[in-house]
Amino acid sequence: MSGTKPLVEISMGIEAFASEWLHCDRISSYLARMVSHNRTDSLLYANLLSSALNELLETAFAHHGPEGNFSCRVSRLGDSDVIELDLPCDDMTLAFYRDAAQRLTQPDLAGIYHSALFSPGKPDPHLGLLEVAVDYRARIAIVAEKGNRLKLAAELTLEGAAA
Amino acid sequence: MSIDRSYQASFNENNQEFVIAGKLRPQSEDEMRPLAEALTNSLAQVRGTFYLNVKRLARLNNVAFRAITNLVSQVCDTRPELRIEVVTSSVMGWSTRKFLPLAERLPNVTVNEYDNDFYPGQSFLEEGGFIPILRNQTKLTWRHERHLLPRHGLKPGMTVADICCGIGDFAVLVQKELKPSHILALDHSRTSLDYARKVAAEFGIADIEYVYGDASEMVIEDNQFDFVTCRHSLQIFDRPELILKELYRICKPGGRVYITNEKNSHCLGEPRGESIQWTYTEVAKLFADFKMDVELGPKSRRYLADAGFEDILVDSFMVTNGDGDPQDFANMIQAWENVFAGEMARDRGDSPEFIARFRQGFQDQIYAALHPKGYAGWPIWAASARKPT
Ligand SMILES: C[S@@+](CC[C@H](N)C(=O)[O-])C[C@H]1O[C@@H](n2cnc3c(N)ncnc32)[C@H](O)[C@@H]1O
Repeated sequence: MSGTKPLVEISMGIEAFASEWLHCDRISSYLARMVSHNRTDSLLYANLLSSALNELLETAFAHHGPEGNFSCRVSRLGDSDVIELDLPCDDMTLAFYRDAAQRLTQPDLAGIYHSALFSPGKPDPHLGLLEVAVDYRARIAIVAEKGNRLKLAAELTLEGAAA
Repeated sequence: MSIDRSYQASFNENNQEFVIAGKLRPQSEDEMRPLAEALTNSLAQVRGTFYLNVKRLARLNNVAFRAITNLVSQVCDTRPELRIEVVTSSVMGWSTRKFLPLAERLPNVTVNEYDNDFYPGQSFLEEGGFIPILRNQTKLTWRHERHLLPRHGLKPGMTVADICCGIGDFAVLVQKELKPSHILALDHSRTSLDYARKVAAEFGIADIEYVYGDASEMVIEDNQFDFVTCRHSLQIFDRPELILKELYRICKPGGRVYITNEKNSHCLGEPRGESIQWTYTEVAKLFADFKMDVELGPKSRRYLADAGFEDILVDSFMVTNGDGDPQDFANMIQAWENVFAGEMARDRGDSPEFIARFRQGFQDQIYAALHPKGYAGWPIWAASARKPT
C-alpha cells in the first residue's frame, strides 16, 4: 500500500505456521506489543490490535494452501495500521476468501456478524473476518496474486477508537 | 508487559460471581470443557443474579466466546428467572463491545462496564476540577520528595511505575531529575492522562508511558518494576489493601513500593489556628462520608506490613508556606476549598451555614500562609518498603 511504513514482519513456511495453534496467539501478542509502544496508550492499543490480529491469524491458520511461504506484516499509515497476511492458496482456499470478500461488501454487516456469532452448531468460517470488519471497523481487502498466492490486508484505525 | 499467561477462573459463592481472567484462545471447544463445567456448576448454585466477571480477561477468541455464550443461552432458556450480569472493563478496550450483543439477544443478560462506580468519590477525582489541585500539590511536595526518593531506594537506571499518576507531573520530575530508565504512569482518568500526554509532548519527554488502567486490577505482568510509587492515592480508595496488593504484585522481588498519604485533620496554620483546625477536621469527615480515608498517612506502616512487605521506612514532612513562594501554598488551599467546599459539600447536602464556616477555615489558612509572620502547613507521610525476594 502506498504511503505506508512497514514496522515489523514475521515470515515462515505455512506448514510451520499451521503446525502449532499457539503460533496465532504468540504472533499476535508479539507483533501487537512491538507496534504499540509509540501509540497514545500502548497497553490499550496492544490489547485491541492483538485481538483483531489474532482473528486474522486464526482464519489463515484454518484456511491456506498446502505449501509456500507465510508472512504477516504490520505497517503504519498515520493513525492507522495495516496488517497484511501473505499466504499460499489453492482453489479451495481461494474460493473461501472470495466468498469472504463478497460477504464483506453486504449491507448490514453487523447483523450478519452477530447472527454468525450466535449461530448454533459449527461456527461460521468467516466469523473472524466479520468480527474484524465490524467490531474493529477494519477495511479488509482480499486479492489473489499470481503463483497461487493471496494477500489479505486489513486497515485498522484503533488510535482514539477505544476511548 | 504483555499479558502472556493463560486463563484463571474462580467462583465466589458469597457474591455469586464467576471470574475469568487472563487469556482464552483455545483451538477447539474441547479445551473449553473444564471451564464450561466450572461455569455450569457455579450457575447451578446461584439464585437471583449471577455475575460473570471478565474485567481482567485480556484475550478471548471466538471459540471461547461461543462456548461461554452457548452455555449462558442454555441456562437462560431453562431458567428465565435467573439474571446474568456480565461485568466488563473499559481498560481492555474490546470486551464491552464483544459482550453487548449477548444482552441484545437474551433478556436475562445485562452487560455492565463496571469502571463507573469504583467507589463513591470517584467522579470528583477523575474530573477536570482536580487538575489544579494536583498541579499545585506536586509542585510543593517535590521540594521534599526529590531528597526523600533516593533515601527510599530510587536510583538512576531503575524501571519505575507511578500508579494513580494523576496529571503525570510527578513522573516528569522523576524522569528529569532522578533518571530512571523508564517510567510507566497509570491512571483511570482520561482527562488527566490527556493532560499528562500533552505536557510530556510539549517538553519533549520520551521514556514515560502514560496508560489507562484500573489500579485495583492492572493489566501488567507480575514482578516488572524496581520502584513502584503511588502518591496520595491509597487514601482515596475504600479498600486500599486491594491497591497495595497490586503494587506488590507488579514490583520486582527486592524492589520497593513507595506511598505517600496525608492526615488532613493535621493541616494547620497560625494565626487563626482554631478555625483552620476545625475546617480540616471536617475535611477528614467529609472524605470519610465518601468512603475515603484522608487520615491514612500514619497508618502506612501497618498497611505495608499487612501487605507482606519488609524493611519498612516511614518518613513524614511538612509542606509549608515557607517552602518557596507562599502564593503557591495559598493557591493549593484555594484549589482545595473550591472542590471540598464546592462540589463535594454540595453533593453531601451540607447547609449554607456549614459551608460558610467550612470555607472560612480555608480562607484563614490562606491568610496565615500569606501573613508576613504567619505559618501554614500540610503534613505528608512518605513510606516505602521492600518486596521480599
Ligand atoms: C488524589 S489523586 C493523586 C494523583 C497523583 N498521584 C498526585 O499525587 O498528583 C488520585 C488519582 O487516582 C486516580 N484514580 C482513581 N481511581 C483509580 C483507579 N481505579 N485506577 C487508577 N487510578 C485511579 C484518580 O484519577 C486521580 O488521578
